[in-house]
Amino acid sequence: MRVPLLVIGGGLSGLAAAIRVARFNSDVLLLEKHVRLGGLNSYFYRNGILYETGLHAITNYADPTEKKAPLNRLLRQLKLPRKKFSFCQQLQSEVIFRNQTSLKFSNDFALFQSEIGANFPQAIDKFQHLLAFLTDFDPFADAPFHSAKNFLLDLLQDPLLVDMILCPLMYYGSSVQDDMDLSQFAIMFRAIYQEGMFRPEGTIKEFLDLLVDHYQLLGGSLRTSCGVDRILHQNKKATGVILTTGERIDCDHILSTIGHDETFQLLEKKSGLEDRPADHHPRLGFFETIFQIPEQSAHHLAKNKTIIFYNDAERFSYKIPQDFIDFSSGVICFPGNFEGMPATDRREIRSTHLADYARWKALAEDPALYKKQKKIAARQSSQRIENIIGSFTPNIVYENSFTPVTIERYTAKIGGAIYGNPTKTKDGNIGFSNLFLAGTDQGFLGIIGSMLSGVSIVNRHILPRL
Amino acid sequence: MTSDEIKDLILEIIEDIDDEADFASLDADQPLRDQLDLDSMDFLDIVMELRKRHKLQIPEEDYPQLASLNSCATYLEPLLKDA
Ligand SMILES: Cc1cc2nc3c(=O)[nH]c(=O)nc-3n(C[C@H](O)[C@H](O)[C@H](O)COP(=O)(O)OP(=O)(O)OC[C@H]3O[C@@H](n4cnc5c(N)ncnc54)[C@H](O)[C@@H]3O)c2cc1C
Repeated sequence: MRVPLLVIGGGLSGLAAAIRVARFNSDVLLLEKHVRLGGLNSYFYRNGILYETGLHAITNYADPTEKKAPLNRLLRQLKLPRKKFSFCQQLQSEVIFRNQTSLKFSNDFALFQSEIGANFPQAIDKFQHLLAFLTDFDPFADAPFHSAKNFLLDLLQDPLLVDMILCPLMYYGSSVQDDMDLSQFAIMFRAIYQEGMFRPEGTIKEFLDLLVDHYQLLGGSLRTSCGVDRILHQNKKATGVILTTGERIDCDHILSTIGHDETFQLLEKKSGLEDRPADHHPRLGFFETIFQIPEQSAHHLAKNKTIIFYNDAERFSYKIPQDFIDFSSGVICFPGNFEGMPATDRREIRSTHLADYARWKALAEDPALYKKQKKIAARQSSQRIENIIGSFTPNIVYENSFTPVTIERYTAKIGGAIYGNPTKTKDGNIGFSNLFLAGTDQGFLGIIGSMLSGVSIVNRHILPRL
Repeated sequence: MTSDEIKDLILEIIEDIDDEADFASLDADQPLRDQLDLDSMDFLDIVMELRKRHKLQIPEEDYPQLASLNSCATYLEPLLKDA
């Protein structure tokens, strides 16, 4: 079998890339290892109930009239009419540094500005300079890593304010310990504070189904439960793949969305990046728990807060913990607290914390111990976040946690690292004439980010040559 | 295709990209991108649609020739004379 373009990985970047190409040339084949599409952003069933794996909120909210906004531009590129979607905007979110201060924000940027003015009056002029800088800055230019933290400390002269601004942006899009790339900062600042957050009214399954139907209507082909075992190549040119079933598919071009080093593993070749000492590029792991309680016992929980980013420690630390999990900071999400979400009989609360992959991996050798530790960690998480949102642990009727090992198992990401390799390949070029990289390790992160990554790498490298 | 037919084709393609595009006050000598709020990603769609519909391979260095409606017509007329 021979196809002009193979897309490896049916996560959101692969799906978006495949749709983009199928608009103009239906000879695209998308290969996904898992039984389901969506990758990190998928769903699963327990007792017939659907649970979303990786959705707190989608960033980059924009009104339909804002043509140049990333969200609308993305939908246009995929030829998906905005009318097909029903989006619910966040109510209000908050960054809470306990015993220090808090900053509220919403999809109206003026709220965040006034919060900074009220809590950091000495820094508000400098904050305006930051906004002016961001207006002129091009985050999409291919530039080397530049520390956003140092840049902000220089500009704002206030370590607490810098940490509070960075906390949500790091949790929702930094692959680097205790820092983020300045370009990535600029992208995330706009995505979260200036544009804001939303979610589809339906489930992520409906969102994915819509993408898949659209792709198939355009004539694109798709195979799930279909892992690529090897990429065949010769003289810096990919010639095809061998699937885990042994089947061979020849192709003219490949777009890989599975990660940089993960792709080189399939090439059975060194990437040149692994020579760096391991402690220079550690991958960040996360521990995520879904809690559900009956609605009738949830009256005292906030109805108007969508997401809370908290830190209890003296200084906010975004790095691999010295324990299974670092509960001193985290993200608390109420998926039901978006404007216009249909009522349900259960209230869901999700928590995210940083986790140490190595410890969880070692423990996973002993399934009973691993399971027990997960249970303990979920309890520690619920009790910790009760300090902020109020009691709910006694009422939990459903609970499920993912460790970095779970992520590794379901998406084959090295180290179960949601945000992948800390070193990004922004231009998608990995040294092959017809094999390119999109998605997490290209560098645009999150749901909208990964989809834009698929689209822009296809525009840059694949469409002009197909 | 005549020059006018080519202009219609381009407008039809743009309408397909953005169904809210407003052609009422379009100046055929001015850049399409500025007037219609198109970005470089949208612009690539025009090139790709021309390829899909008319098997035209437009080299990247010629993209500037597609800037305005009139320059599109001038550039495409010899290429689409039998279309
Ligand atoms: C718990 C959690 C919460 C999150 N919350 C949010 C959020 O609220 N908002 C937000 O914007 N983002 C969120 N994200 C991040 C977001 O999900 C990701 O950034 C995005 O989905 C990445 O998409 P991707 O296509 O780059 O990678 P992936 O989703 O990892 O896709 C890669 C795909 O490749 C497949 N694959 C791997 N190896 C092979 C192979 N050899 N052959 C074939 N297929 C293969 C994998 O199975 C996977 O489906 C969250 C993620 C998690 C895990």
